[in-house]
Amino acid sequence: MTERPLVRMTGIGKRFGGVHACRDIDLTVRAGEVHALLGENGAGKSTLINVLSGVITEYDGAIELEGRPVSFAGPSDAQRAGIATIHQELDLVAGLSIAENMFLGREPRTRLGTVDIRRMRRQATDHLRALGADLDPRRLVGSLRVGEQQLVEIGRALSLDARVLIMDEPTAALADAEVERLFATIAELRRAGVGIVYISHRMAEIEVVADRVTVLRNGSVAGSVDPKTASRDDIIQLMVGRSVDALFGEGRNEPGDVLLDVHGLAVTPRRPTPGRTEPAGVDLSVRAGEIVGLAGLMGAGRTELLETLFGAGGSGRRAGQVTIDGRPYRPHGPRSALARGVAFVPEDRRGAGLMLEHSVTDNVVLSALSTLTTLGLVRRQAVKRTVAGQLSALAVKAASPAVATATLSGGNQQKVVFAKQLLTRPRLLLLDEPTRGVDIGAKAEIYRLLHQLADTGMAILLASSELPELLSLCDRVVVLHRGRTVAALPRASATQQAILAAANGDDAKETR
Amino acid sequence: MNSPNPTAVAEAPPETPPRRRPIRLPQDRHAIVDSFFRFQSLFGLVAVFVIAIAVSPVRNGESVFLSSGNLANIVRAVSEIGIIAVGMTFVILIGGIDLSVGAVLGLAAVGSATLMVDSGMAIMPTVLIVLFIGTAFGATQGAIVARLGIQSFIVTLAGLQAARGIARMWSGGLGIPIAYGDGPQEAPQAFSMLSGSINGILPVPALLFLAIGVGALLVLRSTAFARHVYAIGGNEKAARLSGVPVRRVRITVFAISGLLAALAGIIHAGQLNQGSPNDGAGYELDAIAAVVIGGTSLAGGSGSMGGTIAGALLLGILNNILALNNIDANVQLVVKGLVIVAAAALQKLRPRIA
Ligand SMILES: Nc1ncnc2c1ncn2[C@@H]1O[C@H](COP(=O)(O)OP(=O)(O)OP(=O)(O)O)[C@@H](O)[C@H]1O
Ligand SMILES: [Mg+2]
Repeated sequence: MTERPLVRMTGIGKRFGGVHACRDIDLTVRAGEVHALLGENGAGKSTLINVLSGVITEYDGAIELEGRPVSFAGPSDAQRAGIATIHQELDLVAGLSIAENMFLGREPRTRLGTVDIRRMRRQATDHLRALGADLDPRRLVGSLRVGEQQLVEIGRALSLDARVLIMDEPTAALADAEVERLFATIAELRRAGVGIVYISHRMAEIEVVADRVTVLRNGSVAGSVDPKTASRDDIIQLMVGRSVDALFGEGRNEPGDVLLDVHGLAVTPRRPTPGRTEPAGVDLSVRAGEIVGLAGLMGAGRTELLETLFGAGGSGRRAGQVTIDGRPYRPHGPRSALARGVAFVPEDRRGAGLMLEHSVTDNVVLSALSTLTTLGLVRRQAVKRTVAGQLSALAVKAASPAVATATLSGGNQQKVVFAKQLLTRPRLLLLDEPTRGVDIGAKAEIYRLLHQLADTGMAILLASSELPELLSLCDRVVVLHRGRTVAALPRASATQQAILAAANGDDAKETR
Repeated sequence: MNSPNPTAVAEAPPETPPRRRPIRLPQDRHAIVDSFFRFQSLFGLVAVFVIAIAVSPVRNGESVFLSSGNLANIVRAVSEIGIIAVGMTFVILIGGIDLSVGAVLGLAAVGSATLMVDSGMAIMPTVLIVLFIGTAFGATQGAIVARLGIQSFIVTLAGLQAARGIARMWSGGLGIPIAYGDGPQEAPQAFSMLSGSINGILPVPALLFLAIGVGALLVLRSTAFARHVYAIGGNEKAARLSGVPVRRVRITVFAISGLLAALAGIIHAGQLNQGSPNDGAGYELDAIAAVVIGGTSLAGGSGSMGGTIAGALLLGILNNILALNNIDANVQLVVKGLVIVAAAALQKLRPRIA
């Protein structure tokens, strides 16, 4: 294409109170290229693209679109100019259907001026199909899993036919199959001359998809590299300012006795909810000190299984047997689960994990309040000390523990959820996508933490869409397919291929 | 909890950068701005107080507004609404609303009068029974909200009708006058204490309001229960998954609201020397207004008891000074409306950080 870049941002600066989120950043996007934006949690990536997408309207510096200076009055202004954005935090209206969400604010009209619902649904279906998602466009977004919501969000951005497409961690909640289809779509868009800004914490993706990489650190550009020539270590070095050693699961303590034992667990919901895959025959066990992974495609029922084990799943008739320490375990709700030493980190941190408008402190101590009170009175000093300890143990980046959690970057919010659950000192930790949106350095830190926790005898059951995560972290990987266990692969035989084959249901017939 | 091994990751940099140099000033300014918004109702209260002094009519060279008799009148007048507003604050903090409080006040006033006058009961049992009725009524509403998941607006709207109906049936639809004495059909003399003052200055109802207000303020500041209340208002699902006993807290909060409405009803009967089933009509709206002026968000999750107390006093002073200046009661209503909108608009301006 031409020399002139599609987008040129120069000298972009933005501060929030005392936090300098972006300072003097230059960024260009050319037509037909994928420009990856990397950086630790809180480096300023989302802030920068919020400037470009019109979410932030007060900033320093200038933006040019195809050579013409622009300044957007709001997101819809930027959309009209041809800039579509997939935001990191899912911004969909729970009470509206998929189709309504995708066309919100620009609903197709019939000749009579009413909303053309049929066209809307058809187009929504088409866009989702292109991404490999077979979702009924009439379904309410509130009933969708996080990964499905992400697909809707992507579909919405694609439906805008934009010239510039910004993707802020689009794959954070997607499993490998969906990611692959997204990449195919990206390749098509690139051929069509769309300029793409791509943010992700998954290094492997960057290597596949990016034409150019710009790394941000503490709000400034740390450097730009060519992903074809730069090694992963170079990039990480730029991001973190030091190298992050790879993680090895070897040298761990021998696991102890079986702590959680699940036998033929099945839940027949009273009213079946579309999109939920309740457990339909799950067998698994987790020993003290063991990390067991849960793999499966989207809709395999991993989240539902974890929710059921935490007493937070849908109501219905339960079959099968679950024991903890050999004693029967049937939680009525999260409280009884917590009382038995079970903790849960949900996948949807905004919907289910955090009180966004409340302080970091309030969030961190919520589950463990009973240990921080005397006669119902909160011990302030103890709270302060505990929170400070948790935040530094997890290296949470926040201006202070008193700021609203919503002002933290996505990855740091995730760490807050984590900090809260660990404070309950659980014996069994249930994790649903625990490193969604967490940067490489922090990820390594969380992995190390999990290993330490396991070494103290904690049992950990972890669902993840990121196969490399499961492979490097887990002693065993249990694969679910349509709500039932189809394979339990010990570390030695758990390969990417074996897991994918099982997840696709290739040997589901044998077990039936 | 962090690993002792000195790898790169463990010595992450958060201690040093980046919030050293330019930050001092803006953050301090921020703190000032923030405390203004946090205590906006207090500032509003002071402002209204000053204005009231300025515009007060003067009699015999003395400000009428500042006379001790007038000030006592103000606190007496706000005490019932104030007590109700304290309970309402808890309800609104969990993201709910309680429309039944005015009707429960009427029910309690009728109950107090009937039990003492018609049934010849002593004060203590009367008070305990009436408070129990209010608490049970609130708890029932809370249980319906918590168990059936019906919005509190609807449940308490129904509760409002029900409480009025019960009060009318109980009283035969008429106000029951309270006469004092030892004879039959007479209430114990001590009950009239509620219309009296301590040392002739501080009205008893105002004392009760202040005691309850300060008590609630302390509860909201420092108990685990309060953290749970805020958490439910902030994100109910997250609260439930964090092990907060959501149902129990809900029911408790509505029970508190019912209890305080009943207490306000007893005070009402004592001050007016009668209990009428129509007492307290519209009080729920004044209570909500006090809470909103106090800076508590109707969406739940944020707000303070100090704000509510200040909000109730502010409304009282406003009514008083307008009345002292012989301003038409209808104009008073309009002014009240403007103050509510102004208070809510101020909260919108509040910056999000910290
Ligand atoms: N609305 C806000 N108010 C105050 N501070 C903010 C706000 N938004 C972002 N910040 C701060 O700006 C910094 C940059 O945040 P940003 O969200 O851009 O990071 P990021 O690079 O996208 O991180 P992540 O990978 O975790 O998503 C962080 O320190 C964050 O706390
Ligand atoms: Mg971000």
